[in-house]
Amino acid sequence: MIWIAIFGSAVATYLVRSLPLAVSVRGRLPAAASRYVDALPVAIIAALVGPAVVAPAGALTHGAEPIATAFVIATVAWRRSLLAGVFVGVVSVALLRLV
Amino acid sequence: MPETDRHAARLAFSEGWPVMGTVLVVGTTFGVVARQSGLEPVQIAAMSLLIFAGASQFAMVRLLSEAAPTPIVIASVLFINLRHSLMAASLRSQLEGLPLFGRLVAAFVLTDEAFAMATGHYRRGGRSLAYYFTFAISLYVLWNLATLGGIVLGDAIGDPRRYGIDFAITATFTGIVVLAIRHRAEAVIAIVAGLVAGGLALAGASTIAVITAGALAPLIAVFTRR
Repeated sequence: MIWIAIFGSAVATYLVRSLPLAVSVRGRLPAAASRYVDALPVAIIAALVGPAVVAPAGALTHGAEPIATAFVIATVAWRRSLLAGVFVGVVSVALLRLV
Repeated sequence: MPETDRHAARLAFSEGWPVMGTVLVVGTTFGVVARQSGLEPVQIAAMSLLIFAGASQFAMVRLLSEAAPTPIVIASVLFINLRHSLMAASLRSQLEGLPLFGRLVAAFVLTDEAFAMATGHYRRGGRSLAYYFTFAISLYVLWNLATLGGIVLGDAIGDPRRYGIDFAITATFTGIVVLAIRHRAEAVIAIVAGLVAGGLALAGASTIAVITAGALAPLIAVFTRR
């Protein structure tokens, strides 16, 4: 049964990942749909961040993650550097969790 | 001067190493947790080789250890990974030039991290697909090596939340969003998507949080003029 669960999950995951890339669509998207698709990447990445900031480990944050995220946003907006943001984020969250 | 594939591949490492490091730590943790739950080493290795989706693999370990029915396990994995269909749809325009085989390989190694890094790269004007493939395939190799390491290590590893290592991926994604935002509507969309997903996760709906928030927030762009 465990093997069926593993193979079944592998097939389900691959279908979800590959269908939008394997099926080809002809023609151009209407303007409203292309505005939607343009906005998708930022929305998805932000949606990945949300739970990790608000509910790390599944429970309401004690405040370290939202504050560290604000530091990351400020650092990246100021320095335009991803690595600087990651460095500030990791160090500040580690320190804030001690408080 | 156009960006060369070699340059793009090197950039994937120089920008992506904190994410790669975190994937190593999390993959090792996965191996340890899965081993402690009683799964066989070959089953754990098969999960990382064939499924390659961290959050859903952790959920699977928990469900299998609770002896959940097989259809429930598969359906849970499907729901958790549904967000990848949005990512694949969004990567279409970058991958359009590839033959079908290339797109099928790209789909197999599609993860949150690869999607976010590649999106950040292309939004900043990068064109080479070598960036995506270098980063995504490196993560696949690292995730599988780390899983094996975790299986061998047993319970020798501590909590990755110590030292804030777990936050490296969140910080990277936050930075990518900040760098990718081009106008005010996108900033609003990012904030709404983050808050809706966070709220859903808090409410206990974490399996559908990202797909729901990610699919709904871009509707703001449809209804705003710019």
